[in-house]
Amino acid sequence: MAYRAADPTANEFDLAPQGAWTAYWLAILRVVTGWWFFHAGVTKLIEDGLAYTYGPAYLQQMTGTALGPIPVWMGEHLGWAIQALVPLGETFIGLALMAGALVRLAAAGGAFFMTLFWVGNAEFGHGLVNADLMGLLLFLTMIVLATGRYYGLDAIIEKTEFVRKRPKLRYLLG
Amino acid sequence: MMEHNTTVDRIAAGLGGGLVLLGVVVLGLVETLAGKPYGAAPLTNDAGEVIATPLIDPTLRTGLVLAGLAVLALYALYRIATPEPATEDDAPAEVVAD
Repeated sequence: MAYRAADPTANEFDLAPQGAWTAYWLAILRVVTGWWFFHAGVTKLIEDGLAYTYGPAYLQQMTGTALGPIPVWMGEHLGWAIQALVPLGETFIGLALMAGALVRLAAAGGAFFMTLFWVGNAEFGHGLVNADLMGLLLFLTMIVLATGRYYGLDAIIEKTEFVRKRPKLRYLLG
Repeated sequence: MMEHNTTVDRIAAGLGGGLVLLGVVVLGLVETLAGKPYGAAPLTNDAGEVIATPLIDPTLRTGLVLAGLAVLALYALYRIATPEPATEDDAPAEVVAD
C-alpha cells in the first residue's frame, strides 16, 4: 500500500505504484467477476424482462436469517421494484466491472447482492465459508484495491478535471 | 503503473489472460447470444429429458481457462528458473580472518 502525502487525492487504499503482474491479475479478476454478474443479469432480462418474479419470492422465504425481517419485508413491500432491479442491477454491475468504470460503486452493489445470496441460499453443508461468501469477498476486494484503476476506464475518468476537483469521487470510482 | 517489459512477460500475460477471458467471457457471450441454454449446462424439462444443449461444449471452455492458467504457471516456473540479474547488493562481502 502506498500513501503519498503529496497527493491530496491519494488515500490509504491506493495501490499505486505497483507491479505489472499485480495490476494485470486484478484486471483479470475484475473482468471475470463482472462477466459472472453480467451473465446472471442479462439472461434474466432475456427470459423475464423486468418482471423477475423469483426475486421477491426469494426474499420472502428468507426467514430466520441474520438479516432479521429485512429481506422478507423487502420481498413483500418492494416486490415491484425488485422484479426490475435484480436483472438490471446484476447486468449493470457486471458491465461496470468489465469496463472498469465506477468500480467501487458497482462492487458495493455486488456485495449487497452477494450478502443476500450468502445468507439466503444458506448452503452451509460444507461450512460457512462457501462460494457465495467468496463472491462477496471478491466484490469487497474490488472496492479495497480499486481495481478499475488497472486496465479500466476509471484510470482515465480519475484523471479528468471534473474528478480532480472532486477527489472524493474516487471513493466511487477506482 | 509498471508495464510488462520483456517479450516473455508480454507473451505470458497476453496468452495466459487471453485464454482465460476467451473461455469465460468471449465464448460465454457467444453461448448467451446463441439462445437457450444461456449457460454451460444443458436444459432439461420436468421429466429430466434434455431439451437443449449448449452450443459450445463446456469441456472446451474449461479447457481454455485451464490452458491460460497453465501458461501463467509455466511463466512462473520460468521466472523461478531464471537467475536474477546481478545487482550491487550481490557483491561478495569481505570476510575478515580471525
